[in-house]
Amino acid sequence: MSMASTLSVNIQKRIGRQRLRKFFLGSIPFLILITVWHLNEVFNWLEPVFIPKVSEVWEAFFILQEDCEGFSAAIALDQSCMMSTHILSSVGRVLLASIIGLPAGIALGIFAGMSRPISKVLEPIGIFANSISGIAWIPLAIVWFGVGWMTTLFIMLNTIFWLMFFNAMMGVRSIARVYEQSVLTMGGSRWDVITNVYLPGAMPSIISGMRMSMGFGWRALIAAEMIGGDSGLGFMIFSSASEFKIEEVFLGVIIISLIFLATDRYCLIPLEKWTVHRWGLVWKPH
Amino acid sequence: MPAKLVIQDLTHHYPDEYTGESVHALEKINLKVEEGELVTVVGPSGCGKSTLLNILAGLLPYREGLVTVDGVKIEGPGSDRGVVFQEHAILPWRSVSKNIGHGLELRGAPVEERKQKVAAFIKLVGLEGFEDKYPHELSGGMKQRCAVARTLCADPVVMLMDEPFAAVDAQTRITLQEELNRIAIATKKTIIFITHAVDEAAFLGDRCFVFSARPGRLKAIVDINIAREKRIWSEMNVDKEFLSSRDEILRLVREEVNVAIEE
Repeated sequence: MSMASTLSVNIQKRIGRQRLRKFFLGSIPFLILITVWHLNEVFNWLEPVFIPKVSEVWEAFFILQEDCEGFSAAIALDQSCMMSTHILSSVGRVLLASIIGLPAGIALGIFAGMSRPISKVLEPIGIFANSISGIAWIPLAIVWFGVGWMTTLFIMLNTIFWLMFFNAMMGVRSIARVYEQSVLTMGGSRWDVITNVYLPGAMPSIISGMRMSMGFGWRALIAAEMIGGDSGLGFMIFSSASEFKIEEVFLGVIIISLIFLATDRYCLIPLEKWTVHRWGLVWKPH
Repeated sequence: MPAKLVIQDLTHHYPDEYTGESVHALEKINLKVEEGELVTVVGPSGCGKSTLLNILAGLLPYREGLVTVDGVKIEGPGSDRGVVFQEHAILPWRSVSKNIGHGLELRGAPVEERKQKVAAFIKLVGLEGFEDKYPHELSGGMKQRCAVARTLCADPVVMLMDEPFAAVDAQTRITLQEELNRIAIATKKTIIFITHAVDEAAFLGDRCFVFSARPGRLKAIVDINIAREKRIWSEMNVDKEFLSSRDEILRLVREEVNVAIEE
């Protein structure tokens, strides 16, 4: 084997080891949490009515999915497939609200960032909408749309749209004028400035806006499902709690946080690496 | 043949950003720049050099006077006038080669043509091997080389440069000045180079326009009759023609600096 390839194998090993180390560091808090949780079971510090066993929570997942008649029923959100229907309902709402809300918020935010009249019109509405917390809209949304998809979607959209709007707007305003001028003086049009300068230049703000949108959006969605939903993880947690099925409540909470972690890890962080880190717009800690 | 760029009776006032008072930046500027000429504009700070450049670039609307390129009145920015800004105005989200090819891309030039031209300009400014790097990975001097190539590659009729080497270290500045001279020989571009450094103005200019303190007037034109091929710092430092031109410009500028201080 040549020296160069030995070296590259070594580097690969080292990168692999670094990844493992990062993964290990990230999982420490969770390991501690699960250990303490398990110890509670062993030493009986708190009643099982309040804190279920680890194994009970694990089993609850399969009990809820017990009656499911296969993959096609699960995809069709069949009532028999309780667990997967709740998960898919929540995830589906997040996806739908993101597909509509993120681009709409980014687009209008960019327009408001570059044009004074647009921002003068939209900003007050945004401040008005932001002053009312997302869940305060739930009673009204139920009156308007009834219990179910429309209400939950509305609540989540309302939250993420305005967050994206304000972040994109501030992002555009923080871009140095010289970049815009450098495109205009090469014969670029307004549209060229939007796509070549405003959108990439506002990316640090847009990404932190997405982070906030996902965080607050999830919370708003879970709350909306509790009160104004007929399915979804929020609905599941709420109805399980009223039946004192504490292990299902725990299961719901854990699944919510796992989905959120996965979104961050596999969507937002790669996007961040691919854009603002590569462009040197933000620095990252060692 | 008519001049490439003509400025007639250009006068400009603008409101101060904070006090709102009217600032008299330029007063009755009349000048002509011939095709293939590199002229430098020098003057004390606040003499309206940057205002002039912004008007030429089309970034600042003007009301009094007339500015034409190839006989066409300047109204707004356009690809006939490329600008190299003082700050490194290369887009951080584009690699070196994408920055340099940006003008062609905006114009919708075919990919093949773009590749060829970008490669040629990367070679011209000595950025081979850095094609895929992003601006934050470059040194100050390399960034400004990239900015010059970016502007040149769009093939403007006139290249406007706004104190482009002011932000780099002294060693790099000397190199960049010699490189720009080499580029001027190779491309025969019409270049208007704004600076506050007298050495730079004398080294680069075929002619040097000296501006007065505010309001900026064209105080004097100093001709510098030195062949471009001879312009290397090691030779210019002992060249009589260069030294006398430089001293002349320095004298003219210092008169204005003193006026500005007395006020």
